[in-house]
Amino acid sequence: MALINRLRDPSDKTLAVMMLAPAFLLLALIVVYPIGRLIWNSFFDLRLSGGGEAKFVGLDNYALVLQDPDFWNATKNTVLITLITVPGALVVGLGLAMLANLPFKRQWPVRLALLLPWALPLAFCGLIFAWFFHSEYGVVNDVMRRAGQTEPRMWLLEPTWAFAAICITIVWKTSSFMALILLAGLQMIPKSLYEAAEVDGASKLQQFWQITIPMLMPSIIVALIFRTITALQTFDIPYTMTKGGPGNSTETLAMLIHKTTIDYLDVGYGSTLAVFMFVLSLCVTGVYLKRIGNNA
Amino acid sequence: MHTRNTFLGLLGSALLVSGLATGSALADTKIRAFAGGSGQRPDLMRKLFDQYQAKNPGVTIEMETGGATSELQRQYLGTVLNAKDPSIDVFMIDIVNPAQYAGAGWIEPLNSYMGDTATAMKPFLPAYASANVIDGKIVAMPAFADAMFMYYRRDLLEKHKIAEPKTWDELAAAATKIQKAEGDANLQGLSIQGAPIEGAVCTFLLPYWSQGHEFNDAAGKLTLDKAAAAKGLNQWLAMVDQGVVKKNVAEVKTPDTVNEFKAGQVVFAVNWGFAWDRFKDDADSKVVGKVGVMPLPAVAGGKSATCIGGWQWALSAFSKSKPEAAKLIKFLSSPEASKFLAVQGSLLPTSLGVYQDADVVKAVPWFKDAAPVVAAGRSRPQSKDYGQVSDIIRTTTSAVLARTKKPDEGVAEIDSRLRRVMR
Repeated sequence: MALINRLRDPSDKTLAVMMLAPAFLLLALIVVYPIGRLIWNSFFDLRLSGGGEAKFVGLDNYALVLQDPDFWNATKNTVLITLITVPGALVVGLGLAMLANLPFKRQWPVRLALLLPWALPLAFCGLIFAWFFHSEYGVVNDVMRRAGQTEPRMWLLEPTWAFAAICITIVWKTSSFMALILLAGLQMIPKSLYEAAEVDGASKLQQFWQITIPMLMPSIIVALIFRTITALQTFDIPYTMTKGGPGNSTETLAMLIHKTTIDYLDVGYGSTLAVFMFVLSLCVTGVYLKRIGNNA
Repeated sequence: MHTRNTFLGLLGSALLVSGLATGSALADTKIRAFAGGSGQRPDLMRKLFDQYQAKNPGVTIEMETGGATSELQRQYLGTVLNAKDPSIDVFMIDIVNPAQYAGAGWIEPLNSYMGDTATAMKPFLPAYASANVIDGKIVAMPAFADAMFMYYRRDLLEKHKIAEPKTWDELAAAATKIQKAEGDANLQGLSIQGAPIEGAVCTFLLPYWSQGHEFNDAAGKLTLDKAAAAKGLNQWLAMVDQGVVKKNVAEVKTPDTVNEFKAGQVVFAVNWGFAWDRFKDDADSKVVGKVGVMPLPAVAGGKSATCIGGWQWALSAFSKSKPEAAKLIKFLSSPEASKFLAVQGSLLPTSLGVYQDADVVKAVPWFKDAAPVVAAGRSRPQSKDYGQVSDIIRTTTSAVLARTKKPDEGVAEIDSRLRRVMR
């Protein structure tokens, strides 16, 4: 009865709780529950192929992950892909953004060209570039042959070159996203700053380092956060280009999780691997957020 | 009184209607069958279901299809069956899957419907009879067979007066001779699958088996002879060095072999049974009337062995219409159904008798060449964790063929990883 009365005539505090409850409920359902369930599953020996009930194994899966050479290999590959492709996409994206920011008479063709790679599905990009890098039918080897290279390079069959091919594809695919964010940032820089710098006799390079980069920093950080998090989850492009091969030399953490959970039907161990990836993403995001805090 | 009579009349009618409804519900059985993707010919399976329905009034068969590959179908069925979902009564599975499904408790053993194991499996080729029997119980019934064949350019072998090779060394010599004589830089000697796909599991096993070694014992435990396995892989690499097999063999998938052979660019090609129709019927085939089929060669001193494929019908452990569904499976694995699939779709039968059927021989004459190949075929390792077994073998085989690992290293890796899975 008292509760009904409180709801009929709520205090400010009760009203606040009532207003916030739907949002919290939604958040709990779509964010907290899946993550909680993932962590819960990681404490079980839960194999869909084995029959029988799931067995509670405590931290055993976590101990196994730390001793698993495939996990360390996939983590190394994931971190390497992140370290190469994120700055790569930033540099290429910045170049594209500056190009698109030039005073073209017709802006739309440039912006459309900028959008196209971003609009293509990741797996499709992987398939296209797998074809480009095919040792026999690929356009890359064809160009090299015309340039005088006699022996075709086995791009996707040599670990180093396969890794390079994947990184090139990821940079191609993701730099347009970077460029779009940076283009928006570039357009917010007041022209008067450059005019003043010109009057002061600053060179174009000085203007770039002293005006463009500092003014663009908030956009750069936003773009880096998004790109880094997605880079840590890299799956589609290496999956379609090499399936993680040759051997498992280009296998990423997301691919290992997919393989363990979907191909091996080992949900318990796959969940543990996913928890590790989640923690990795969380740490990296934390570093960025701290950086933003410092900047602010 | 009038009202009372009306009420009784209505009650009677209602009881009659409900009785009829119950009666028709008893007579009308709905069975839902999962019939795989296009490779498993759901179009033909639907026709078989229609035939069954015509003979069994009151039975309605709904068909579900999905998943282009064996792996995708396994993933889908794994999800449905793990949830103990009773909506699918009967499903089609790859030859590599009965052990996994039986191990997971997803399959209802069929002995109570098919009779004792030995009698029920007697009509079938040994590989199919054994692959569908786990711990003495029938867990699935064969639907149709498949196997890896050695396709070859009959015209080129005749032109250069070369007999069908019996060993891989003879094949390499024959291919080299033809390649040199033809003087076509694009003509490959032999096409095999080295990309990390299911076909690479067979690429690993073919030369290994032909040395007379077993990959696993009857209990499914790994019995890998590492020296023989390395010898098999070395043989492929030697063929690459001789120019018989392409240098980028680790990129070659099943359709690549089909397309290149079809384009007249290959002397010998290892591929599945379905490829025959592609060589014979496709509009862009340049080898129509020029193709021969023979058993796969063996390593010197060994015996020919091939990798079998094929599909089976299984009864869901969660079905609510088990007797009716089992009766359907009995029909689907009968010689009558097998003959229909052979004549209508060139799908290889699983029992020797059907290969010799006059109508089958007339419709698909090459089956007489295929029968001994399928009969000598072997099943890939049976394991409840086949997904993992396959992944380990194909990934490592591909890496060895890409020369990123030495054969000895690759075999040692396969051995150490599989020892944990197949024990």
